Amino acid sequence: MQADDWLVGVDVGGTFTDFYAFDRASGTVALHKTSSTPDNAADAIVSGLRELAEKTGFPLAAVRNLAHGTTVATNALIQRRGARVAVVTTQNFRDLVEIGRQIRPKLYDLKADHPMPLAPREMRFEVRERIGAAGEVVTALDEASVDAVIDKLKACEAEAVAIAFLFSYLNPTHEEAVKARIQAALPKIAISTSSEVQPEFREYERSSTTLLNAYLQPAFSHYMTTLKDALAEMSPQATVGINQSSGGLMSVDKARDFPIRTALSGPAAGAMGAIHTARLSGRANIVTLDMGGTSADVALIRNLETKLSFDRDVAGFPVRMPMVDINTVGAGGGSLAWFDRDGLVKVGPVSAGAVPGPACYGRGGTEPTVTDANVVLGRLSGHGLLGGAMTLDVEASRRAVGKIADKLGFSIERTAKGILDIVSANMVRAIRAISVERGHDPREFVLMPFGGAGPLHAEGCARALGITEIIIPYSPGILCAQGLLVADRAESFVRSGRLALAEENASELAQLVSSMMAEAEGWWEAEAVEPQARSRKLAIDMRYASQNYELQVGVDELPSVDDLRRMFFEAHEQAYGFHNPADPVDVMAVRLTALGRLPSPGTPPVGADASATPEPRTHRPVWFDGEAAVETPIYDRAAFAPGTRIEGPAVIDQFDATSLLFPGDTAHVDDALNIVITRGDAS
Amino acid sequence: MSRPPLPNAPLDPITIEIVASAFRSVVDETFIALMKSAYSTNIKERHDHSTAICDRDGRLIVQAEMSLPIHIASMTGLMETILAKYRLEDIAEGDVFVANDPHVAGGTHLPDINYAAPLFLGDELVGFVCNIAHHADIGGMVPGSMAGGMSEIYQEGLRIPLVRLFRKGELQQDLMDIFLLNARIPDERRGDHFAQIAACRLGVRRVKEIGERYGVATIRQVFDELVTRTKARMREAIAGVPDGTYRFEDVMDDDGVATVDIPIRLAIIISGDRAVFDWRGSSPQVSGNINVPINATKAAVAYGLRALLDPDIPNNQGILDCCELVTDEGSIVDCRAPAPVAARAHTSQRLIDIIIGAFAQAIPERAVGASNGANTTAVFSGKDPRTGRDYLYFETLGGGFGGRNDRDGKDGVQVHITNTSNLPIEAIETEYPLRVVSYGFVEDSGGAGRHRGGGGLRRVIQPIGHHCLFNGAGERFRNAPWGIFGGSSGRTGRYVLNGKDGETVLDVKPSGVTVGPDEQVVIETPGSGGYGPPAEREPADLRDDLRSGKYSRAFLEKHYPAAKLSD
Repeated sequence: MQADDWLVGVDVGGTFTDFYAFDRASGTVALHKTSSTPDNAADAIVSGLRELAEKTGFPLAAVRNLAHGTTVATNALIQRRGARVAVVTTQNFRDLVEIGRQIRPKLYDLKADHPMPLAPREMRFEVRERIGAAGEVVTALDEASVDAVIDKLKACEAEAVAIAFLFSYLNPTHEEAVKARIQAALPKIAISTSSEVQPEFREYERSSTTLLNAYLQPAFSHYMTTLKDALAEMSPQATVGINQSSGGLMSVDKARDFPIRTALSGPAAGAMGAIHTARLSGRANIVTLDMGGTSADVALIRNLETKLSFDRDVAGFPVRMPMVDINTVGAGGGSLAWFDRDGLVKVGPVSAGAVPGPACYGRGGTEPTVTDANVVLGRLSGHGLLGGAMTLDVEASRRAVGKIADKLGFSIERTAKGILDIVSANMVRAIRAISVERGHDPREFVLMPFGGAGPLHAEGCARALGITEIIIPYSPGILCAQGLLVADRAESFVRSGRLALAEENASELAQLVSSMMAEAEGWWEAEAVEPQARSRKLAIDMRYASQNYELQVGVDELPSVDDLRRMFFEAHEQAYGFHNPADPVDVMAVRLTALGRLPSPGTPPVGADASATPEPRTHRPVWFDGEAAVETPIYDRAAFAPGTRIEGPAVIDQFDATSLLFPGDTAHVDDALNIVITRGDAS
Repeated sequence: MSRPPLPNAPLDPITIEIVASAFRSVVDETFIALMKSAYSTNIKERHDHSTAICDRDGRLIVQAEMSLPIHIASMTGLMETILAKYRLEDIAEGDVFVANDPHVAGGTHLPDINYAAPLFLGDELVGFVCNIAHHADIGGMVPGSMAGGMSEIYQEGLRIPLVRLFRKGELQQDLMDIFLLNARIPDERRGDHFAQIAACRLGVRRVKEIGERYGVATIRQVFDELVTRTKARMREAIAGVPDGTYRFEDVMDDDGVATVDIPIRLAIIISGDRAVFDWRGSSPQVSGNINVPINATKAAVAYGLRALLDPDIPNNQGILDCCELVTDEGSIVDCRAPAPVAARAHTSQRLIDIIIGAFAQAIPERAVGASNGANTTAVFSGKDPRTGRDYLYFETLGGGFGGRNDRDGKDGVQVHITNTSNLPIEAIETEYPLRVVSYGFVEDSGGAGRHRGGGGLRRVIQPIGHHCLFNGAGERFRNAPWGIFGGSSGRTGRYVLNGKDGETVLDVKPSGVTVGPDEQVVIETPGSGGYGPPAEREPADLRDDLRSGKYSRAFLEKHYPAAKLSD
């Protein structure tokens, strides 16, 4: 093996850009964090890579793979910093993207509205054409009406345009023809068609997704081009992959065309990192809890795979695409505790943010947050976060939490515990929604907390869910960047329609699958994926003919019609507790994911000072369940070698997170340096 | 009913919040399960259903976040009926109760089928898990069971008094057979019934899990606390409204049979932390199906209180307990058998406009212009030439939402008592032999004002290759939605048949209109009223009105004569 063989994961967040680099030759791991550069996120990546290489001492030319997760698209949507965008629709339907589903976001709030579409009405144009429900052409495309639209696009100075026609998921020819004609006349304009972005049933959700994509295209294209050019110079051998919301990497060119696919890029990377950690720990079924400053993301991993969901709101707009099934709740370290008008205590979703932040940050915050509650209980050290770079004001936390305690007539510590119980209850609701509500019993899963705040709150959530085992990954604060290293390259193919699940349609189904396989072959070739690195996943979406929500079953090969029906019944039984054996079933979509495996990193190296019998760095009083504090040993995580066993209570500090062992809990450190906690009340 | 004293010490606000959070989880979970497994378009796409937990005194404890306001009182209506008919000791684990009748079983119209399953923790009955769902058809005179022209409830479909569909876990198949035989497209209805049953069972299982964690006593205490605290919170909000008597009145267009311009009158008497809603002097009940059972009137009052005074207050019995109503028995707001009620939601919308109109005098900054005030209904039915099977497509369309003190109204949205989604065009055309010819906003339909009213929707539908039947029910087709504080009225709605002989404007509540394959039905929903004088509208907003094409130059010149409209 050659001297250097570096894999780098880069996760661009709103505030920080994280790097996790691994040298397969030496097993060296290097971590780095730098401030993000919102104007062009590529700048922080380039400068951060240089800093990382310099500090670690490897040549950037030795980077073989660079995998990149990004919140740039999501933030551009939230901050409405996209292009001047137009929409072209079927004649008589330009209002569709504004009407949406004709509902109000909040039933009882007379002043809450869904946001207006990104393309104002005067930039929504109609073309004479119509496709019918069987994919047939009802009205031929009128090219004169397209030319009229081209004139209007020019006049309104659109930078991007979304083309979304009815039934284009069955027959894309009109969208394709209009795209070609616009492209020929206006070569500089970015174009998205709904049949390319997401060729699926339900015009509003498809149009909305396409409009969002077009809105993001120009800026994202600039960002991708900068990145590609810089890397071509710095690391000419590197394969660059951009993480998609579904948890697989796409090429830079794909990302340029389909930026909306990165809407959940970062959280999906977290799920990938969790799967990698789970595999190293020999666990197959995981509930993830990624808790940061303002929100927590939870996901369910079963047999080392995440489920995908297809509908989600991004910045108030519906997006329909394959995305890792992540549930987000407004619960983070900065979440504020407050009294509602009926006297009940609530925590979040409002957050103190970075400014003023929790009271203990000493930046002017006076309201109690989740972090303050942890400080009051001694669970977070006053000596600070980020390895002591930031000290915490314990008295400020006590004053803030004291405001709630006075009203309750409780001690400050009991109040702080109450605040943490409530924030756990909020996260438990989110976890139930992705486990119990999908027919999975969380007691059969391991909880994996990560993010800066996850490990502090794992015990409370595990207890409420009946989970007995908690695994804290090696580097909880930087797991998303690590997850990028283990992501495969992936491309999804879908055929959406409506096909009765019946013997006479078996050959049509088989044909669908084989035509998608041919497309997958094409993609593997185009991406130069070696034959031994290729694999695929097939999934069938089905529902009763009279239902409107599909259930998905994953298969290796297309099974017989009878087997498919049986699998659907099982899925229905699991999801809803019953099935109707005599009722007709329809196949609504066939999905194929083509994968190209990338080289995988190994396990992180054990630190030089680590030992299997580490000594605590210090002791301090910490409140757990009882009324009184317990004198508790404080460990440095870097001191743990594989085989370490400790018993609770204990606090374990590391650069990017703090973990807790409750009294009665036992922990051991596995070969991959993960901490595996068995809860005390488990046996 | 007296109950043994609660043994526990008072619960603290943290424990209550945590247990309540678990209950909210249950009703939201059952809501989604019902939506995803049901067969009726009304439920699966339009979310015309609700789920809840009630205590054993029949008090509403928690309702799913997405539950519909009009269902709130229906659920407690069913509870009252169960508790009046059965002694608690006669109710057993595994029972499931069903009812829909507004006159004898607390319902508000027949298509809404109410389910309730008793909830036992150990041997103790602590409450009920309930759901309610709008079935696409419940039989009766016309497909969809909702059109105008009916004059007795017997014409509106199957009346289900309170029955016990399951006894100790055992399905009473005879009852189910009656339900199915009386509905069009029984296979679909079976799917809906099973989805509702499964949602009940799921809810029972989940609350039991919570009960095992916290114990019966705590569960019952939390039930009590939630209701008591919500009631106190609502009382406090009412106390913030200046004392006085606030009157308002409006009219319904038409009952679909005989009567037009039907008056409804309200006086709200605020005194300290109490609000009395006096509806006396409103029209006697009418022959057509727009009568409102008292439970639905109560639901409208509960909606008004919550929307105007405290939109984030939890939905439970505490709010209903603050709704003090005075009515004339046998009036349009408190109708008696055999009054037909299928289209009562139209009237509910009007009741809310009236409540807002009355409160506007006391709390002008929270009021809004009159909204589209309707549940503009379209029902298409016939035989699908592709399959030879009967089909039924039912939908209610949104319209204008009135202008507000700080912003314009919203165009094309469901308002107030309802929030059902539209059916995607691709779903309509895939499932039914119909073509949606156009779908968009109606020009010039939101009333002028400092903040203009929202505009109405237009949808044009044409049958493909066959003749179909069209039934509709409109409101604010004669009497325009009014503006407020000087704002102008919005445009009225209408149904039009576009045939070979040109346009024919249909009745406000058309019934049994035959539509040929060369003809189109045009549905135009009402706009809504503006807020504040048009002369105070910002020039930039006027330029937007023109540029967006939502308003014609002629309309703007007429309603804003002083404004300069050069772009």
